[in-house]
Amino acid sequence: MTALSASNLTKTIGDRTIVDDVSFDLQPGEVFGFLGPNGAGKTTTIRMLVGLIKPTHGSVSVCGFDIRKQFEKAMRCIGCIVENPDLYRFMSGRENLEHFARMLRVPSSEIERVASLVNLAHRLDQRVGTYSLGMRQRLGIAQAMLGDPRVLILDEPANGLDPAGIREIRELLRNLAAERGMAVFVSSHLLAEIELTADRVAIIHKGRILRTGPVRELISSQRAMEFRVDDAERAAAIIRERGVEATVSGDVVLAPIEEPDAPPIIAALTQHGVAVFHARQRVQTLEEMFLEATGGETVD
Amino acid sequence: MLIPLIQNETVKLLRRRRFAIVVGILLAILSIVSYSQYRQLRETRNANWRADLQERIARYENRLRRGRINETWARSMRAEMRRLQFYLDRGINPEEPTAPLVVRTFANVAGFLLLPLLVAVLGSDIVSAENAEGTDKLLLTRPVRRWKILTSKLVTLWLFASLTLLIGALLAYAVTAPVLPAHGWDAPSFNGFQVAGDTVSFDSIRQLPLWQDALLAYGLEWYALLCVASIALMLSVIFKSSAASIGTMLASLIGGTLLTRVSPDWTAGKYLFVSALPLADYYTGAQAPPYDGMSMAFCIALLGVWALAALTVAYGLFLKRDVFG
Repeated sequence: MTALSASNLTKTIGDRTIVDDVSFDLQPGEVFGFLGPNGAGKTTTIRMLVGLIKPTHGSVSVCGFDIRKQFEKAMRCIGCIVENPDLYRFMSGRENLEHFARMLRVPSSEIERVASLVNLAHRLDQRVGTYSLGMRQRLGIAQAMLGDPRVLILDEPANGLDPAGIREIRELLRNLAAERGMAVFVSSHLLAEIELTADRVAIIHKGRILRTGPVRELISSQRAMEFRVDDAERAAAIIRERGVEATVSGDVVLAPIEEPDAPPIIAALTQHGVAVFHARQRVQTLEEMFLEATGGETVD
Repeated sequence: MLIPLIQNETVKLLRRRRFAIVVGILLAILSIVSYSQYRQLRETRNANWRADLQERIARYENRLRRGRINETWARSMRAEMRRLQFYLDRGINPEEPTAPLVVRTFANVAGFLLLPLLVAVLGSDIVSAENAEGTDKLLLTRPVRRWKILTSKLVTLWLFASLTLLIGALLAYAVTAPVLPAHGWDAPSFNGFQVAGDTVSFDSIRQLPLWQDALLAYGLEWYALLCVASIALMLSVIFKSSAASIGTMLASLIGGTLLTRVSPDWTAGKYLFVSALPLADYYTGAQAPPYDGMSMAFCIALLGVWALAALTVAYGLFLKRDVFG
């Protein structure tokens, strides 16, 4: 059964369309990435998913319940953080979790469970005002995990975390999906983050979804080797002779190959007298991908 | 189902330390009142209160004879003269302070501005604070419908408005009882003076034991405070920041009170909710209402209409609106 399904979500304010006909499905056991630059409509879409904003058109169903018609049943299936992990700063972490546990009517034993899940048990009795952004992010995730929801929606969960924290959260999310069969929805403006976390990804730009598909197809295929050489045109010709595409930009030649395929090409270039100053794997930036996907339309 | 939500709101209100501030303010003000009453007690013990009352009546007469006074002032002066005469005729010293009398008077004195202000401080940001701190996103994405959330906030506000009044009354007694005579709950108390124009009518005067009289006055103030709390809830829904909602509430309370006292000619002022707030005053009847035609029934109905309208706006907005960042 589909865990969450958004169909034809549209939000218009005045004559501005912020989100335009966005549809996607979330399956149990997958991490779904929602990738787009800031201002693309990610947060507005999330707010529609969790019932904070009423869509102009379209509908959302969670675990088979319509978010507007069966709000309570639908929301029982969702745990979420929208935008920042804003919690009550004047209360302790435990008091915050107790607050939301009471709303869900779940026992207080749940509090210990979710707190240890995000490694926060030792700071639970301190005021949230004294927490770092990373700790508030964890507390936010703990809060979202209360009541063991089927769907987890997290808006930019990597924000404010240090690299170790990011890795930790990433592993947690992957485990929740793999072991407990949760459907995890993660938004981000960072391509690398989505690539490492998500199974499938939807790319949103200017309120519209440009592409949806498995991460490997959409993002990993965008990898390329970059060679900086003294004569880019000649180098490109040599690479093309070997049956590999090559594009020239300035003194750099790009070839859509993986790292292990690079040494033979470097050898060939050197043999033909082309000086190779450096060769490195290059991940296409989000902007470049948008350029490609929108056929040259700029991202602004 | 509402109980856990009300529990949540209570925890938040207490942890914001608002209620502690309110109790602190009440304690400070009542301590000063207690001290001044104690001094008055020492003076009245020695003084001849009959002569004092007669002198006060004579003073009012003089000022009225000199003329050139604002008609509203003149009117209330004439009323006060007749009220004092009434006590004089029956041989009751209305000035002798006792702890029960302070408790009773507190309903009138605090009822028209202090208690509404405290309720405003308590509750005018009960929704807007969540908005400003961003916690509304979590509150509204739990499996609880919005009307339940708002109702839990309203009930919590009503609870704390009631508690403020109750604690005010208890503190008034606790602070004055050690220094003033603590007895006198069944002393006769007179109310129902009807001031209309220049005349005071004694037709509907009731004599009640003080405790009964106090219960009635507090009951009326309680009703007024619940209405104030409902209006505070509306402002907290309309505004997005704590400062804006609390500021607007305080400004309308203070501004409205000033307006009713400064420009009695602007008769439309009687439809402001603040002019109906001193319900306990209208009940006692010792003072002329700021506008003609403000009977008790009118004031109770007026406050009720304001509260209902405020709640309609609050629920209408809160249930329908989009929650943006």
